[in-house]
Amino acid sequence: MKKQTLRRCLAAFWWLTLAFLYLPLAVVVLFSFNSANSSARFADFSLRWYHQLMGNEAILSALGNSLVLAIVSALLAMIVGSVFGYGMYRHRRRRLGGLVLLIYLPLVLPDIVFGISEMAFFVQVHEWTGLLSPGLATMIIAHVTFQIPFVALIIYSRLVGLDPALFEAARDLYATPRQRLVHFMLPTFKPALMAAFFLSFTLSIDDFVISFFTAGPESATLPIYIWGAIRKGVSPEINAIAALMIAAVAVAALLSLAFGRRRAR
Amino acid sequence: MRQRMIDKTAKAPTRALGRETRHLLLTVTPGALWILLFLVLPSVYLIGVAFMTTGPYGLPQRPLSLDAFERLAGFGFLGWSPGNLYTLLRSLGQTLVSTVLVVMIAYPVAYYITTCRARWRPLLLLAIVVPSWTNQVIRSFGWMNLLAPGTPLSELAVTLGLISPHLGLYPSNFAVTLGLVYNFLPFMVLPLYSAFEKLDVAQVEAAQDLYASPLRTFRHAIFPQTLPGLLAGIVLVAIPAFGMYVVSELLGGGKGMMLGNLVANQFAGGANWPLGAAGAILMILATFIGLYVMRRLGKRLGGGEQVVI
Amino acid sequence: MSETMTADSAARLDTDPAAEQSARSEAPRKASSIEMQGLHKRFGHDTVALDGIDLNIQAGEFFTLLGPSGCGKTTLLRVLAGLEAPDAGSLAVGGRDITEVPPHRRSVNTVFQSYALFPHLSVRDNLAFGLKMRGLPSTERDARVAEIAAFIQLGDLVERRVDQLSGGQRQRIALARALICEPDVLLLDEPLSALDAGLRGQLQVELLRVQQRLGMTFVFVTHDQDEAMVMSDRIAVLNGGSIQQVGAPREVYERPVNAFVAGFMGHDNLFPVSARDAGRLTTALGELSVEAPGDGTLLLIRPETLDLLPGSVEGRNHLPATVVERLYRGSHAEFRLAVGETHLRAMVSNRGRHLPEVGEALTVTVAPEDLVTLSE
Repeated sequence: MKKQTLRRCLAAFWWLTLAFLYLPLAVVVLFSFNSANSSARFADFSLRWYHQLMGNEAILSALGNSLVLAIVSALLAMIVGSVFGYGMYRHRRRRLGGLVLLIYLPLVLPDIVFGISEMAFFVQVHEWTGLLSPGLATMIIAHVTFQIPFVALIIYSRLVGLDPALFEAARDLYATPRQRLVHFMLPTFKPALMAAFFLSFTLSIDDFVISFFTAGPESATLPIYIWGAIRKGVSPEINAIAALMIAAVAVAALLSLAFGRRRAR
Repeated sequence: MRQRMIDKTAKAPTRALGRETRHLLLTVTPGALWILLFLVLPSVYLIGVAFMTTGPYGLPQRPLSLDAFERLAGFGFLGWSPGNLYTLLRSLGQTLVSTVLVVMIAYPVAYYITTCRARWRPLLLLAIVVPSWTNQVIRSFGWMNLLAPGTPLSELAVTLGLISPHLGLYPSNFAVTLGLVYNFLPFMVLPLYSAFEKLDVAQVEAAQDLYASPLRTFRHAIFPQTLPGLLAGIVLVAIPAFGMYVVSELLGGGKGMMLGNLVANQFAGGANWPLGAAGAILMILATFIGLYVMRRLGKRLGGGEQVVI
Repeated sequence: MSETMTADSAARLDTDPAAEQSARSEAPRKASSIEMQGLHKRFGHDTVALDGIDLNIQAGEFFTLLGPSGCGKTTLLRVLAGLEAPDAGSLAVGGRDITEVPPHRRSVNTVFQSYALFPHLSVRDNLAFGLKMRGLPSTERDARVAEIAAFIQLGDLVERRVDQLSGGQRQRIALARALICEPDVLLLDEPLSALDAGLRGQLQVELLRVQQRLGMTFVFVTHDQDEAMVMSDRIAVLNGGSIQQVGAPREVYERPVNAFVAGFMGHDNLFPVSARDAGRLTTALGELSVEAPGDGTLLLIRPETLDLLPGSVEGRNHLPATVVERLYRGSHAEFRLAVGETHLRAMVSNRGRHLPEVGEALTVTVAPEDLVTLSE
């Protein structure tokens, strides 16, 4: 009897928390359809802000930058990070304390420290050598840096969960190093590699602080554009672009759920 | 015949080891070098900047000095001013308050998820995590929409006499706290959930059997078992909260400034790199102290370490 | 060679000679001998896994490496497979030195303890994996899969997914996956240890039949002495990285060379010899005649060689005893007897006659030819 009450209270609290988590996002989506230029009162349903988006060169170029940045950095991080994770796994019996620290450093360092130290460093290197002027290249470098640990940890945890005898079975069954890669490692790690790529991609799309400090004048991404627009004064147009990004995340969530279900099967 | 065979294959025991080491270097070097070159080196450079003098455009220059730290402590051309100290205290206060609030919300939520059917749990966890996948800027923007003057929430606050008419709940310290809690809730729910999932139900039932009150059951049977998860969550919440920039910048306004804003302003505006670097060192220190404390605590409690990320 | 092996094998397991003949003619396989010379392997600085292994395994032999965990048996198997490189020593299969040959170029296959079936492949693709890596065309691969499926009687398992298999089924697929490559030598790393007792006995017999029909050299690793005795042509008992004894099961069980082997084979009636006079040895039990006393310092008395006579009987190797404990096990009974100052374990098969009660005084006797001595 008492247990029932407790559970009901917990359930109520759960729904309240969920409302708290989704309310701000829901408001953004709602007001992106607002015909009035107000964030306080909803007048009428309209798509005018979305229409306005289509014609906005700056937004389209920011979207392009975001996608190029996310795809290129996620691909690079997937390659470098998975090889790193594999190396950590293969030699896990050795003392790798220093390497583990190296992996955790990007994860624990506050964004802002991460961003400004890279910015200061890039500026200094540029001054000395003329290389690394702020732009997409420096952003890609910075993004790969924080994506590598996530990829390495995903691959590592997948490897640890795997029967170590599988590697030996492949060698035992006449697979050459190349064949082991093609016929054993890649198919076995395809899901983990995909997960790593998508995670890196989302991390990149999501990142604001590190991008903000390593970006150049021509390489603003969507979050940087939105940031600038908010600072200049709120325009309902931001609601529309933000709503689109929320929709993208929702799709990603559904995909991840579907992927997870399939893997669990 | 056999003798020859042995001679031919006699080999140094170190050879296999050498091959393994080469393999290790081959796999790990690219990633390690990347992080060393593009994160460790820049961080070291940043620490160096903190000990330089401010030159034209706020850029660092020689000679080395502790000027930046004096400035950070509030000593300027016009004597001492408490502005930076307030910012630092506000950062600490916001971190503390938001972490406590996050724990208070995350505990029942994580527990509730474990009481649900196993097949629903991944979905419930996903529901908690999904909002944090959206951009920080957009999330804060959502709260700006909700808390702006004239919105129902602000009107309610006016009616209750919490704020003066025609003002909004944002910008304010309250809005920053709210934003921080909103941002970091999932980071607490996840480790707490995995702690609850591993909970030894037998211990809890034994406590209930012994007629312990719910409170005592919680204190003696549940809480100690979830402590490793709690500590992991605190690390994941408090450290980034202390270094927060976006939320306090958008929701805080001038009076809600935190250390992250102080640091960022020194770089974004090109105002004073050494001063910003000195502030950043404070955050780096806080990070490592926090991690160290949690590690020690985790070790003493056993098993806490693996939970961290 | 293989003729005599088959004769031996038939002694171990009753099989219909005609059926075996036809199986042998349907699948004539080559068999290879293995020669190991001074194999050494260390892990880190202080863990010695192999401490100078010299061992010859004959072609077509079912050879078992027996020992407790950490004795080096698995390391030796991994060296044979090429998964571990020895620090020193040499290894030859079929007269060809393969010490430096990587595993994927050795005609040696392994059945892993965990089976190590590839989870991303179907059973069929698991079976065909080795053939595919060797570049066999797919039609030939299919034919070989069908052949092995018939041979091991896999039935419709071939069409399943790996995660739909039970433990016993996985074991058989792992065996088939290794056999399909027709290796010179098949290595089995405790392949039955994960199975429950009933299934285990059944698969022991199946494995033995497969080996006999193929005449292939099997090297089998186990820590279970019963399993080793049932399956093997010869057994090598290992401890601390070195070989304690090599011999046929009866030899190892009945004539262990030292206390370790005796202990590992399950013997506990070991008595230090305090004095010896030609064929008469003195122990805590008293004086006993031993036909072949050797020069060992421990006397081994196997419980099943003891006879229990009612009452007090005088004679050679007759000792007065009292029953301290009786464990009735249906087919036989185990006794703990007080003899002189010490205790002796005896085993008597239950033929429906009188079984002595606890407290009963009797005479225990043993034939001089059943007694052996061994070193510490």
